[in-house]
Amino acid sequence: MIEMKKYIRIVLQICILYLFSLLGSFIVQILHIKFPGSIVGLLLLLGCLHLKVIPVQLIKEGAGFLLGLLALFFVPSTVGVMNYPELLSINGVLLISSVIVSTVLTVIITGRICQYLEGRKTREEEVQ
Amino acid sequence: MIAISMIIGTIIIFVLMKKLNARFSTPLLFPVVTATILIIILLKSFSISYDTYMIGAKWIDAMLGPAVVSMAYPLYTQRNIIKQNLFSILTSVVVAMLSGLISIIVFAKLLNLSNDYILSLLPKSITTPVAMQISGAIGGFPSLTAVFVIIAGLTGALLGPFIFKICRIEKSVSRGISMGSASHGFGVSKLTEYGERALSMGSVSMTLSAIIGAFICPLFALFFQ
Repeated sequence: MIEMKKYIRIVLQICILYLFSLLGSFIVQILHIKFPGSIVGLLLLLGCLHLKVIPVQLIKEGAGFLLGLLALFFVPSTVGVMNYPELLSINGVLLISSVIVSTVLTVIITGRICQYLEGRKTREEEVQ
Repeated sequence: MIAISMIIGTIIIFVLMKKLNARFSTPLLFPVVTATILIIILLKSFSISYDTYMIGAKWIDAMLGPAVVSMAYPLYTQRNIIKQNLFSILTSVVVAMLSGLISIIVFAKLLNLSNDYILSLLPKSITTPVAMQISGAIGGFPSLTAVFVIIAGLTGALLGPFIFKICRIEKSVSRGISMGSASHGFGVSKLTEYGERALSMGSVSMTLSAIIGAFICPLFALFFQ
């Protein structure tokens, strides 16, 4: 019985999250902007949580449930790569290699800059 | 009937692949990767088209929106960590976004890629669900973007530890932020080895990177539309 109640709660909470997502898409649509609606929904929810319009308890379990299954939700889209067999050509390999190199560069640049910023912060704290 | 079997089939395959991954823990067996490959093989061998598969699978896909909205929850609960490190997190996430975008545009131009490919490449460092939505919004192919995002993720998860060693990126904060903002969830899952702090910095910067990317990617996209 307690289990049952928990599941009903999760479903209801997912409905709330779904409403935010719909609202985000709706706003993007009427404003005609090139922006992902779900991010508008995320920012709206963040605002509501921050302003205590919506208590964390009202979405906590639903959000945890969805985030735990996040990887499952994008499987249908990744399967869509079957419509792009050109990725297996030489050009595809070059394309994939450039994603790899770009990512390595990003990790190095970000890591070094972040380490520099952190180092400066600790030195400032020591001076104080 | 087809719809329901596609939904159930996808879920069963995903759960099995997750179990497989739990047994042999290596980034190459990430359930998304193995489940995708297995489903493609199955669809091809029964000559089922992607459109037919999506009749059912679109219901799973529909959960992406609310799942992205859910990311507000961890962001909210970790707001204190963010406040404490606001300047270095924000600067690093923006630096990561820009270096990812600029480097991939340079490579794409060298390879003489068409604009729709470039648009599909732009959100590659952002977590898959958001990256696909950005890709769709700016005129790329969301499925291609998903593949590039996964490759960026695998790169971070597999090469990250070597990069940290060679480039002497030793602080847990720097490791977390660079991994979260360059290699999203895949990279972040690798951070468990570097402790709680690296992990929470990683997940925070992954989410912030998604939000900041949603603003910056459409600006860069203007050059290729």
